Amino acid sequence: MDAVEKANTERQKRWVKDQKVGEGTYAVVYRGREASTNRKVAIKKIKVGQFKDGLDMSAIREVKYLRELKHQNVIELLDVFSSKTNLNLVLEFLDSDLENIIKDRSLVFLPADIKSWMAMTFRGLEFCHRNWILHRDLKPNNLLIASDGQLKIADFGLARDFADPGYKMTCQVITRWYRPPELLFGSRYYSTAVDVWSVGCIFAELMLRTPYLAGESDMDQLKTTFRALGTPTEQDWPGHTKLPDYVPIGQFPKTPLRDLFTAASADTLNLLAQCLVYEPRKRISAKDALTHAYFFALPYPSHPSKLPKCAAQITAALPLEELDGNTLSGKTNRLKRKLSSPDDSTKTRSTVARRLDFTKPTPGS
Amino acid sequence: MAKTPLYEASTQFKNWRYSPDSLASVRASLNSAAVAVIRNTFESDEPGSSSAVSFLTPDEELLLVRLYISKIPQLCGFFHFPEEVEATAVSYLKRFYLKNTVMDWHPKNVMLTALFLATKTTNNPISLEAYTNNIPKTSPSDVLDLEFLVAQSLGFEFAVWHAHRALWGIWLDLQSVPDAPRNRATTHADIYDAALQHVRASRLSDAELVYTPSQIALASLSMASPDLASEWAASKFPPDSPSVPGLQTTLASIRALIESSVVPNVEAVRAVDLRLKLCKNPEKVVGSKAYLAKKAEDERKAEEKRMKKAAEATTEGDPFGDELAGGPGGIDDDDDD
Repeated sequence: MDAVEKANTERQKRWVKDQKVGEGTYAVVYRGREASTNRKVAIKKIKVGQFKDGLDMSAIREVKYLRELKHQNVIELLDVFSSKTNLNLVLEFLDSDLENIIKDRSLVFLPADIKSWMAMTFRGLEFCHRNWILHRDLKPNNLLIASDGQLKIADFGLARDFADPGYKMTCQVITRWYRPPELLFGSRYYSTAVDVWSVGCIFAELMLRTPYLAGESDMDQLKTTFRALGTPTEQDWPGHTKLPDYVPIGQFPKTPLRDLFTAASADTLNLLAQCLVYEPRKRISAKDALTHAYFFALPYPSHPSKLPKCAAQITAALPLEELDGNTLSGKTNRLKRKLSSPDDSTKTRSTVARRLDFTKPTPGS
Repeated sequence: MAKTPLYEASTQFKNWRYSPDSLASVRASLNSAAVAVIRNTFESDEPGSSSAVSFLTPDEELLLVRLYISKIPQLCGFFHFPEEVEATAVSYLKRFYLKNTVMDWHPKNVMLTALFLATKTTNNPISLEAYTNNIPKTSPSDVLDLEFLVAQSLGFEFAVWHAHRALWGIWLDLQSVPDAPRNRATTHADIYDAALQHVRASRLSDAELVYTPSQIALASLSMASPDLASEWAASKFPPDSPSVPGLQTTLASIRALIESSVVPNVEAVRAVDLRLKLCKNPEKVVGSKAYLAKKAEDERKAEEKRMKKAAEATTEGDPFGDELAGGPGGIDDDDDD
């Protein structure tokens, strides 16, 4: 047997597939584990043989970028191996995503929780951008949540690197509701600002608990955006009328964000507004967002282990004895979350959290 | 705390750096392992038949690989691929032969596959049909059959950092150092072009497996203009910096590598290639006795595995059986769906 083949077999032996958990157009996802440690993993099996052009682009992108990126807030690719004509990606196991959590009506989000998710998203995104990688498909269900509450950016199937200005890129990226107006207007030259717009939409969605700019078509997406944020003027966004697919959409007045986000603090609205600036060059960068006053004002971000979790996720994360003995504390965390002053909540919740905080210390980023 | 440079977090830095000695020893051990296997195959086919075979030496293997490296720029020129595709394909081909030998896989097809894969990994995809239709005597399967093996040999590490990008960075730096003459980019364009030619020449050598992209770029610049190279280095290191003497030695070694890198003599390569026809692994020659024997053996093993799996399936449903009865095998690749 060739050395390469032998090495592959060794790798393959390290991982065990347990159960199919999902099937997509080009991949099947299994829950599995590392044979020697029983550490839970997800194995994404990509069918390769069916493509006439060989290994397909999204698989290549995903592998290429995840191989290079190691960060607490980016999903970790643990291994890659092949089985016959399939490519298997071994990823860290994450049992939930932000979309599930947003949709779970039994969960109450405190402002500190939203701040925590935003901080983790921006940290992961800043790391991608620092490594010259655009994600190009940020949305709540691509932000996965680990059992210890850490948020991880996943799905790099549309990612690409960027470096030189003036290099043409496709504008057919990012799920519509999270797509910035420059892409909707057909811009082929764009930047990290496209991802920041998506994060802005996710930020709003966390507060509203429903998608913020839910257009029904690409054209309607622009209308929905302008209806919410006002039609941009030449002064707001110089040159936008010259973009390839520009069409006049109609004149909508600017309404203050405050009208919709009634409970949000001034810092919150300021950061949100800076993520949703029309002129991409003036939109805040992930790096600057991390030092925005919002993250330094009270309430401080919730510790990841104290964030709201879906019910299924709690059971999955709890060791058996916790389930037997401390059912109440588990419930407290999930259901009895009321908006209280930051001081109060840390006091009452810290006792619960200590009992729940059984996870290993999180690895440094 | 000092931040780790981005480059040092890359798979290139972690997994594809060698010393000249370690490169030589990797190649020697791949070569001798291949010779042993092939000799064995010959002998089992017909005892005594391997004694007359003159196997390739590691240097001869390298010569053949270099010839095919030199074909990549020609193909890229024909297809108008960007420089990144060309440089990436060259890196892939070199890396492939640090895990495999020429006697198993002929570099002609591996080169075509590495280039095709590089178009995709650098986001410049082209259809396989358009690719192979324009290359004489090449069918889609010549490329596709090896794609997985190539990807696997690369450890699925597709990202490559290139010296030509580092040179561009140095070039931009030189336009913004204090007191840089205005319009330097236009008045000194010939220097940049000359340096880029040296970077391209370095691709024929082992430089990228030993040195960092920025070291190769700076050495190339120093060949085109020692003054500009010193000016740039002075802007990055204080004159009394302890790194400077070491840097000079490194640059000198890279210059020596670049100067000695030439396209191999075609006649010399032809002689090696002729001998390769006699000593390549018969298990990889479609239709040969050894190939058929290997195939039969593989099929027998696969059948055995299927039987084992079927046997295991019957024990399913036993609530205690799965974990315990599974045994150490545990390779379940679930390929039956």
